[in-house]
Amino acid sequence: MGGATAALDYDAELMVRVKEGDGASFALLLNKHRAAVVHFLYRMVHSQGVAEELAQEVFLRVYRSRGAYEPTAKFTTWLFRIATHLALNWLRDGKNERGQQSLDQRDCGMPAHEAADGRPSVEQRMVRESRFEEVRHAVAALPANQRAAVLMHKYEEMEYSQIAKVLHCTESAVKSLLFRAYETLRARLAHMA
Amino acid sequence: MSHNGCRGRTELLLEYAAGGLDAAGREAVERHIGECGPCRDLVADQRGVWAALDGWEAPPVSVDFDRRLYARIAREESWWDRILRLFSPVLMRRGLPVAAAAGLALVAILVMSHPAPVPPAPLAKVQQAEPLRPDQVETALQDMEMLREFNGLVRPDPADSKM
Repeated sequence: MGGATAALDYDAELMVRVKEGDGASFALLLNKHRAAVVHFLYRMVHSQGVAEELAQEVFLRVYRSRGAYEPTAKFTTWLFRIATHLALNWLRDGKNERGQQSLDQRDCGMPAHEAADGRPSVEQRMVRESRFEEVRHAVAALPANQRAAVLMHKYEEMEYSQIAKVLHCTESAVKSLLFRAYETLRARLAHMA
Repeated sequence: MSHNGCRGRTELLLEYAAGGLDAAGREAVERHIGECGPCRDLVADQRGVWAALDGWEAPPVSVDFDRRLYARIAREESWWDRILRLFSPVLMRRGLPVAAAAGLALVAILVMSHPAPVPPAPLAKVQQAEPLRPDQVETALQDMEMLREFNGLVRPDPADSKM
């Protein structure tokens, strides 16, 4: 691969090593991107259990496809393309209906436990839960592709060009998605500043 | 930036609100929003959105995530490798219609489901060869097609090399 490989990101180099049979490199990739993928999926589907199941499928597909991998682009573009594909399919298939009904506190994004010496008051906790709910519902109300674009832009700090590659569309289409999404979110969340 | 020209400046304002501009860009936007109320309001509102999203924490990943993943890999690797061995040379050839690949897979499933009369294989080999399920083949084809499409569509660009 020569020069092409030299210009690649470190993740792509690791993936090339995985292709060559290096399981340790897969473990490194998993360790590096596990949280980002799960968190992205969680914010897409709003259920931690579903997010982890989908994330398992993402990494499983990466591992399965190692033999055919070609380092032509950033590894994370491919990774999030798989994740987005799975999330959009899951949402499209309506599998979220049951999940939405069974949201528990963990699924709503609340930390599973509070530190014993930093426990917030009941009032602080209620305010924070209310804010979480408001944000969650505002994001959930976005069309799925707008939601994916916002999450990649905000939390993964992806540039428009990379989001475009993930969503398989043009940069101008990504800008349009983001502008409309942020316009909607400003109408619903601006007061939370 | 006069107010009449602000419509096309939204991208710049959003980047400013996200803290993504360099010093010169920030200075230009600050000069503008010092004079333009609607743009000032947009920036303030967008910062509100940003702050709200910042506060949306995701739960930690389960501690047994990796263990479950590796168990799935071990469980599924055997049938996946069998599919790859069967179809990889055909599937990876650029330009081959996916339908043709799917057809081959279907034929393979049919053959495996209704094998032609053949001399009995040694018992050990028969026990190893569990029939592939149609959904396994379908998943394999989807994965191969997504990767093939991705490899074909995405070309290295200067932005990629920065990361």
